[in-house]
Amino acid sequence: MVNSNVEALGIIFPNSHDSLVPELVGERLMASIPFAGRYRMIDFVLSSMVNSGIGNVSIVVRKNYHSLMDHLGSGREWDLTRKNGGLNIFPPYAEKSIKVYNGRIEALVTVLDFLRSQKEKYVVMSDADIAGNFDFRAMIEAHRKSGADITAAYTQEELPAAAMAAREESQDLYYTFTVNDDGRITGMEINSKESGLTNFGLNIYVVEREFLIQQISYAYTHGYVNFERDILLRQLDKLNVQGFRYDGYIAQITGLKGYFDENMRLLDDENLNALFSPSPIYTKIRDDNPTRYITGAKVENIMAADGCVIEGEVENSVLFRGVKVAKGAKVKNCVLMQDTVIEAGANVEYLVTDKNVVITEGKEVKGTDTFPVYVAKYQVI
Amino acid sequence: MAKEMIAMLLAGGQGSRLYALTQKLAKPAVPFGGKYRIIDFPLSNCVNSGIDTVGILTQYQPMVLNEYIGNGQPWDLDRLHGGVHVLPPYQKASGSDWYKGTANAIYQNIPFIERYNPQYVIILSGDQICKQDYSDFLRFHKEKGAEFSVAVMEVPWDEASRFGLMVTDENDKITEFQEKPKNPKSNLASMGIYIFNWDILKKYLVEDEADPESENDFGNNIIPNLLRDGRNMYAYHFNGYWKDVGTISSLWEANMEVLDPEHSGINLFDENWKIYSRNSGMTGHRIKKGAVVENSMITDGCVVSGTVKHSILFAGVQVEPGAVVEDAVVMGGTVIKAGAVVQHCIVAENVVIGENAVVGAMPTEDEKGVATIGSDVYIGDNAKIGPNAMVSNNVKGGEEQW
Repeated sequence: MVNSNVEALGIIFPNSHDSLVPELVGERLMASIPFAGRYRMIDFVLSSMVNSGIGNVSIVVRKNYHSLMDHLGSGREWDLTRKNGGLNIFPPYAEKSIKVYNGRIEALVTVLDFLRSQKEKYVVMSDADIAGNFDFRAMIEAHRKSGADITAAYTQEELPAAAMAAREESQDLYYTFTVNDDGRITGMEINSKESGLTNFGLNIYVVEREFLIQQISYAYTHGYVNFERDILLRQLDKLNVQGFRYDGYIAQITGLKGYFDENMRLLDDENLNALFSPSPIYTKIRDDNPTRYITGAKVENIMAADGCVIEGEVENSVLFRGVKVAKGAKVKNCVLMQDTVIEAGANVEYLVTDKNVVITEGKEVKGTDTFPVYVAKYQVI
Repeated sequence: MAKEMIAMLLAGGQGSRLYALTQKLAKPAVPFGGKYRIIDFPLSNCVNSGIDTVGILTQYQPMVLNEYIGNGQPWDLDRLHGGVHVLPPYQKASGSDWYKGTANAIYQNIPFIERYNPQYVIILSGDQICKQDYSDFLRFHKEKGAEFSVAVMEVPWDEASRFGLMVTDENDKITEFQEKPKNPKSNLASMGIYIFNWDILKKYLVEDEADPESENDFGNNIIPNLLRDGRNMYAYHFNGYWKDVGTISSLWEANMEVLDPEHSGINLFDENWKIYSRNSGMTGHRIKKGAVVENSMITDGCVVSGTVKHSILFAGVQVEPGAVVEDAVVMGGTVIKAGAVVQHCIVAENVVIGENAVVGAMPTEDEKGVATIGSDVYIGDNAKIGPNAMVSNNVKGGEEQW
């Protein structure tokens, strides 16, 4: 193989952390949540894998995956329509004794046979709740050099208390690491309440394929469910688990408020450029026409995708594809998903509208800075 | 497997009247309407009409066009049998030839057409902005029992002598053809879009090729020959928007008309007749604090901090603070630096307009010129480009060009 190949295959778990955003995953899953104007969450990790030379990516779906299948299609937009490798979507395996899986271990059991038949030396595993422009090549290289059994990516950050409380409430687990001077993870805590700078696990791992198969087989026969708790934590002293610190820009979906904030952060050019460089992020193409600003439109500090028609006032907002803002309508501090329609004279603030929402003529809908109002798919107000 | 109708798209023209815009690319590859190229229109029309096999005849500067078409996937023309094929002139066992004329270009590709064994062949031109349902044209052709049909537009009588005109009887049967006549007998102008029965087209192409006097041109040779032989020839009336964008002013005008779909008739916002294009892959565009955007079309990757009025910005255009863009067509990747004033003009791809430079001017009574800047040109700070200028080389800071 020539140098573009990193000898790794990718596995993405698109349903992880669904419970954090019950509103947004009513008819979809974490991976297909629309983000940043024209993308879905999975686009970031998927594009990163492709840009890092990974041409064999499996997506182990659990439920609500229609929207994801529709988005991914044959994987062409990510250059993953390949004879060898390419994109594989693994729905739950009904006839096996495995029910819809709970943890990552059970998810991996459903693809064990597939993993055995592959040739790549390494496996990169990731969830889809974090948008970043990851360099998996560097991570695999670090893994190779350190001779680790498992390499886990983390960021050094202060855990926002609110987000952590939300995780606790929705029984979503997060992991923090103690990393020694050699980069080895010597300690690991689940749902830590400690304040201050922590090493926050990104749930992105590099591991040798053979080693992963062996670990998963063993764990499954012992009734284990959770990869971090039951494989990593139990064997921290025995295995060489290395930390890989990621310093790039990330946007993480931890709840509706967090979703709103992460979209808004992208109105800052520095953040936008950090997320979309150095490598491109690919997404499904919709063939919209360019966005049209009609006389009378007043816009300030917005990001808008194609296909919008803007005749009213829009300020500090993120507009997804095909949003219409009619004459005399006012939109301030909003995240409006695909094909939202704000009719004439409507006045909205701190709003997150899902796809195809209509705010009818003259209506006033306002959330607040700390509590954006969410309007579900197809609702007409 | 036979196809009912395949399309042959003439895309070899240099488009010399577009000067600076076609130095490095063929006319059909010229960007249009914010995120399209001219060729997206006939290609999308084909797909929307159910035509899945298209041969694109290229000759002049084909590289950009070749790369743009690729495997045809953006137009859904990556097909198992058929799809889109770029057909440049090629070397044959007994020598090779450039395409000598429109008819000769098709003649040289008779083997390509025969692979699909079509009943009908539609000949399209790659320099028109038009949304047209070719299946309706074919229905007409079949209903009339025609051997040849041409799409025609009614033009004002006083302009008729600029066009190739079809004189018809009350059944739309063509009785005479006048090429740019002094005294027009008809105001039905040929759009350069033809449907032929393939057996007839092939016969006349072979005959035409054997005639050493022929210019091998559809308008000058093939159509007159069909008329001479009394073939069944009909004129299909098209009433929609149609624009030949062969000149700077018509290209500029057509772009401006996109901004006013309610009146101009060219509507790119039509869900039922989408125009497809290859995507830039950039993020949504940004309108910054202090920016003014009025009556404009803006697409992915643009960053607007200055003022943009009645203009079209293509992917990745940057308008810095204090810059003014008005009545302008600004193509992909171009940067307009702080304080620059860009008016009533066409700026091609990847141009840099320096700080406080002035390009073009709003039209006055006696000066309506559309300034044109070719691709990759650098216009220095404080430079001044007049309203009739055609710039294809860098202009140093402070210099003037008229």
